[in-house]
Amino acid sequence: MLYIKCPHCGMRSQNEFSYGGDATIKRPELGKEISDQDWDNFVYNRKSLRGKHWELWQHISGCRQWIKVERDTATHEIFNTLKANEEISL
Amino acid sequence: MTQNFRLESGGLINRGKKISFKFNGKNYFGYEGDTLASALIANGVHLIGRSFKYHRPRGFFGAGVDEPYAIVQLYRNGETEPNIKATEQELFEGLEAKSVNCWPSVNFDVGAINNFLKIFLPAGFYYKTFMWPKSFWYKIYEPFIRKAAGLGTASIKHDKERYEHKYEYCDLLITGSGPSGLASAYAAAKNGAKVILAEDKSRFGGTLLTSDVNIGNQSGKEWADSIVSELKEMSNVTIKNRSQVFGYYDHNMLVMSERISDHLPKTKKYHPKQKLWYIRAKEVLISSGSIERPIVFGNNDTPGVMLSSAAKEYMKVYGVLVGKKPLIFTNNDSGYETAIEFKKNGINPIILDTRKEPQSEIIDEAKNMNINIKNSYVVVAAQGYKKVKSADIAKISDDKEKLGSIENIDCDCICVSGFWTPTIHLASQSGNKTKFKEEIDAFVPGTSKQNEKTLGAANGIFTLEETLKDSFEQGNRLSKKITNNDNKVSFPNVVEKKSAVHDKFWCVPLPKGKNYKRFLDFQNDVAVSDIEIALKEGYRSIEHVKRYTTLGMATDQGKTSNLNGLQLVSKIENKVVPAVGHTTFRPPYTPVSIGAIVGREVGKHSKPTRKSPMHSWHEKNNAVFVDAGVWLRPRYYKRGDENLFEASKREAKNVRTNVGVCDVTTLGKIDIKGPDAAELLNRVYTNAWLKLPIGKARYGVMLREDGIVMDDGTTTRISENHYHMTTTTAQAANVLSHLEYYLQLVWPELNVNVVSTTEQWAGAAIAGPKSRDLLKKLFPKSDVTNEGLPFMGYIEGDLFGVKAKIFRISFSGELAYEVNVESDYGYFMWEKIIEIGEEFGIQPYGTEALSTLRIEMGHVAGSELDGRTIPYDNSLEGLLSKKKDFIGKRSLTRKAFAAEDRQKIVGVVPLDKKTSIPEGSHLVKDSNAPLPNPKLGYISASCWSVEHDNPFSLAILKDGKNMIGKKLFVMSPLKNKVIPVEIVSSHYVDPKGERVRS
Amino acid sequence: MQKYSVFSLVKNALSNHENWDLAWKDPTPKKEYDVVIIGGGGHGLATAYYLAKEHNITNVAIIEKGWIGGGNVGRNTTIIRSNYMHDDNALFSEFGMDLWRRMSQDLNYNVMFSPRGIINLAHSDAQMNTYARRGNSMRLNGIDAVLLNREEVKEIIPMADFSDNVRFPIFGGLMQPSAGTARHDAVAWGYARQADDMGVDIIQNCEVIGFDVSAGKINGVRTSRGDIKAKKIGLCVAGSTNILAEKLNMTLPIETHLLQACVSEPVKPVLDKVVTFGAGHFYISQSDKGEMVMGGDLDGYNSYAQRGNLPTLQHVLTEGIAMMPFLSKLKMLRTWGGIMDMSMDGSPIIDKTHIEGLYLNCGWCYGGFKATPASGWTFAHTIAQDRVHELNAGYSLNRFNTGHLLDEKGLGTKTWIS
Repeated sequence: MLYIKCPHCGMRSQNEFSYGGDATIKRPELGKEISDQDWDNFVYNRKSLRGKHWELWQHISGCRQWIKVERDTATHEIFNTLKANEEISL
Repeated sequence: MTQNFRLESGGLINRGKKISFKFNGKNYFGYEGDTLASALIANGVHLIGRSFKYHRPRGFFGAGVDEPYAIVQLYRNGETEPNIKATEQELFEGLEAKSVNCWPSVNFDVGAINNFLKIFLPAGFYYKTFMWPKSFWYKIYEPFIRKAAGLGTASIKHDKERYEHKYEYCDLLITGSGPSGLASAYAAAKNGAKVILAEDKSRFGGTLLTSDVNIGNQSGKEWADSIVSELKEMSNVTIKNRSQVFGYYDHNMLVMSERISDHLPKTKKYHPKQKLWYIRAKEVLISSGSIERPIVFGNNDTPGVMLSSAAKEYMKVYGVLVGKKPLIFTNNDSGYETAIEFKKNGINPIILDTRKEPQSEIIDEAKNMNINIKNSYVVVAAQGYKKVKSADIAKISDDKEKLGSIENIDCDCICVSGFWTPTIHLASQSGNKTKFKEEIDAFVPGTSKQNEKTLGAANGIFTLEETLKDSFEQGNRLSKKITNNDNKVSFPNVVEKKSAVHDKFWCVPLPKGKNYKRFLDFQNDVAVSDIEIALKEGYRSIEHVKRYTTLGMATDQGKTSNLNGLQLVSKIENKVVPAVGHTTFRPPYTPVSIGAIVGREVGKHSKPTRKSPMHSWHEKNNAVFVDAGVWLRPRYYKRGDENLFEASKREAKNVRTNVGVCDVTTLGKIDIKGPDAAELLNRVYTNAWLKLPIGKARYGVMLREDGIVMDDGTTTRISENHYHMTTTTAQAANVLSHLEYYLQLVWPELNVNVVSTTEQWAGAAIAGPKSRDLLKKLFPKSDVTNEGLPFMGYIEGDLFGVKAKIFRISFSGELAYEVNVESDYGYFMWEKIIEIGEEFGIQPYGTEALSTLRIEMGHVAGSELDGRTIPYDNSLEGLLSKKKDFIGKRSLTRKAFAAEDRQKIVGVVPLDKKTSIPEGSHLVKDSNAPLPNPKLGYISASCWSVEHDNPFSLAILKDGKNMIGKKLFVMSPLKNKVIPVEIVSSHYVDPKGERVRS
Repeated sequence: MQKYSVFSLVKNALSNHENWDLAWKDPTPKKEYDVVIIGGGGHGLATAYYLAKEHNITNVAIIEKGWIGGGNVGRNTTIIRSNYMHDDNALFSEFGMDLWRRMSQDLNYNVMFSPRGIINLAHSDAQMNTYARRGNSMRLNGIDAVLLNREEVKEIIPMADFSDNVRFPIFGGLMQPSAGTARHDAVAWGYARQADDMGVDIIQNCEVIGFDVSAGKINGVRTSRGDIKAKKIGLCVAGSTNILAEKLNMTLPIETHLLQACVSEPVKPVLDKVVTFGAGHFYISQSDKGEMVMGGDLDGYNSYAQRGNLPTLQHVLTEGIAMMPFLSKLKMLRTWGGIMDMSMDGSPIIDKTHIEGLYLNCGWCYGGFKATPASGWTFAHTIAQDRVHELNAGYSLNRFNTGHLLDEKGLGTKTWIS
């Protein structure tokens, strides 16, 4: 069971969180013209990296905040966690 | 029965307490502290079961978790359990056990015919045959093979035992209470660290219980006892026996299974049988020791052939002799220790040592005791079928290739030692890349991956002094890191005998002209010849070898066989062992009962049950409940002999004619507050929300980004910046997360807060033409006229002193209201509604009537919003704002979503107006068309229209827009039904929606 | 090639099993092939076999990073079925069922296909209706399906929980009698042996380092064992799809997730059907060896780890006991994980790509094993003819753009819960 540092609550076990997928995907701005390709890249296409992966988790049984977690998808090592409003530096 | 193999004295058993037990129907007795294995051996019972494939006789091989043979069916307290290792099962009064995998009996087993056919049953034989004729595999061969396979018998009775879970955090978890475990635990405990020390066996001490050593002027056992009793007194130490740490998971989470009651005749009241511990440890010290490995020789599976360390353990711990004419076959000094123990107990062993001229203190001691030692000798084959009777032995050349002339010597057991294999499972599970250590011919942990350190024999350190030194130091160092204390423990004086190096010899060559089976995996009957065939056929990767031959895949998971298998592959392939590589170690280290893994979430508690505050009223009034997710909802209220159909029809009809009340507490409710609340709604819902007046509700549909409908519901503007959203029961949690996602991550600039209030409000839908009359009486102070509370209006009211929210919304299509009060007043509200509603003919209605009402109105619900439909499919395209963007809008332009002949919801009526249409049927043009018959759509929901008194269904139909008035067939091949139908509008009742506004 | 038969077994026994042929050779890669298949799993091996058998293309190499059959074909729960609702999935799978029925004979390798039947349990009337929708669809597609009521289910699997102490009572179930199981490793080995015999080079321990693409065309692949030229390359690497896609500058509607499975200790025959739980995600069958083979949910976050976590197994086994309480007394013997290529609608992709000569086979989620023969057959067709077959026309890559989605479960793009 992963041990995730919620930036708001501290170290918590994975079963308090729910997963939210790739954190680097940015929703296109509302009302803006966008190509099919760009829209598909937002909705469907994923890099799903092996290795370091920025991803979203929600501390659903805790503070209910969405957080950004940098985890190695091959070893599950967690390097960093950020609050929702903190920018990922790749 | 007398215990012919029990020593007069000695051992750690309690000779004062006799325990009687039964094996294969015969009565025996042993002593408190025995295992089933030790007690059986004491009674001279050596034939325990039959092997998996050839049904060869099986005895005992080890004395613990590594046991591949002695697997029995256990009977305890009226229950039975398969596949219990006799070496692990502690004896209790009244224990009963039986042999497995033999018929009719372990002595005479019909399946043993396989043993004579074994030449035709090499590795992979079943891949090469049983193919003709085609149908015979499933019908003839497979059932036969299935019957022959398996070990014990699973009872299909429900398990009455209780299993518990515990979550624990500690500074140091130490796995195993041998010398390294005790020393490190002691050092860490002295530094004030929170320590958990886990021991799999019932006795603490590990090898200290059986080895002839001296620590601080005490015997190994005395020293262990004193450390254990001191640890037990310390409040920062949890010390657990019968507890196996079986899994090392991510981020230093380890899992331990504690056997609390398995050693008792019966589980005590309110006690669990087993307890599963999830332990998050800051540091982990793996002190799991090592397992002796066998030397491979002919017929080395004959009962009586066993590990030399096990023979010693049976003597020293249980006071039991595994034989009276022992032959010790060894490539290292461990065999000598066993021989010395035999000699001390008056038995004359013979040692065959594969080494030419080994010299050490232990060997000298054996020599001084006049033990017969034959150097450069090997056991070529064991003789005897159900028990070893003699051994063929021979001198072996220095290059270990050639055998001298065969001699036969009498013996009744062969105790084998092929040196030691560190137990590296936990380290490997942690992600540690293990490395091969040439000196010991085995893998040891490499660089730590998580916060784990491996100590002592598990780390390939086989001297006590070094082990203790390292363990004290690591225990001190790691705990110091955490507690900042540095209480050094003074290192005791250690006396142990020095060993000579072992001989890297593990497999005896076959003598000329003999074709003895030389087994590697004793439970799965995998022999040297099987591996040879696999390699010959090109199954060369170690994983291929394992899978093709089943090496190491038995219930012992290869604890005694894997390394020898690797040696063999590396020899044939001419590679070094690490180049062959071992297969991956995965949890569990030893099998764990599924009951323990699951814990208390069984039966009714396998998932939570949610009930509305009015639940007990429903119960009292003959409600029949239905599961709605984890909620229980009344499906209908049974009157007399009514069935579901009759009751729901009555309830629905009453709504259409009088007034009904339905418990809608389960609907998701979300409170939305903040100056940008309207903007949020405007982005989340497909329709416009910026101009909703205070005191008004609006129906909305929300999409996923892929354009599929996610949920629908009404949201009401309570005050300037305060909205009350409702969701479907099923999507409540998802919608909340969805809103939080957009608010926190996508549009953090919106100043809005959302919170679930589902549990805060109890809800009652009051529907029917007389609902306003009822409402007037419920809320005499409020203006509930059509003007005062119009359709989609909202007011707050006073329900006999209880604050209530009144929404004029309708799912049934009738004039209807939804009243919410705080949950604690839900029951009160409900009773008042029923009591006052009586004069208007009120009846409660359940989900079935609710369905009927919404279906004939053409209102969509979960069966239409099934995660595959877009708004158009549900005739909700009118709610798609053209002026603004919203979540998922961009996806609606996809070609298939915008197709002219896109599927759309329609109504379906049988031409005969009588035949009910089964839900899940499909619509076709031609009911006699050849298969595959093209499907045009499917029936999503069916009811008996109470308005029209005939069956009516909703369907999602291809090109539904242009199909109204067409005649099609409904087909349900599953129910053998073909029904001619007409396609009509989905709004079958009150298509203009006048009633809700009346 | 040596034909496997009772006679060959006896004959070899009498010569001490010393004369068995290699099941497949261990060639060094040639400089160029007509077709290179990347991935020596079930699908890759089957593709090579059908390229040779159906299209007479034998100058083919399969390149495999590790050892053949080491991925999901050797890590699944061996279930074979065609009980799908969507036509594309159903007709494709049913075509596969025909291939399964003949496979042992076709391959002269006993893959132990055992049509013992699968039952999906339903725990409410609503679920019965959902199953009826799928079952009726199957029947109209010519696939066998039977809707069972509670009593009928009880007769077939009395060990399921029919007591009162049950959270989600069994209402009935949907059964596909012709579904079943097979011996997973044997499928890989059987295809490998025949493909090898027809001239396909099976090259193990050969890792793809990069691709040679120019002017929108594929020219070859760079590997740890040298460059290999080929005008046609088929990508068939399941959980490693994203890794290779990155080397091709492609981003796919695929995410990589971990699925665990476990077996109990072997016991005498007690369950002769494949059964799935309807109030959660759990499936079970009993292997010929006697082990209960069980699986359920994904671990729930992107993973390439091939190692799972206990809470997921706990969750899965909780549903197992809810369905069949007797499992409580069995012991979990072995657990393992497989890396799944989860597509965004839960259905696979077998298609050409924007790069000429590069073909894609992926997105099997956790349904890849059963699809092995049909996937190999249609992928071989797609590669050989440079056009999709009608059986895999629905498995196009651009369906995500056009909206012709094949979402059996209606869960959308949250691959980790689907």
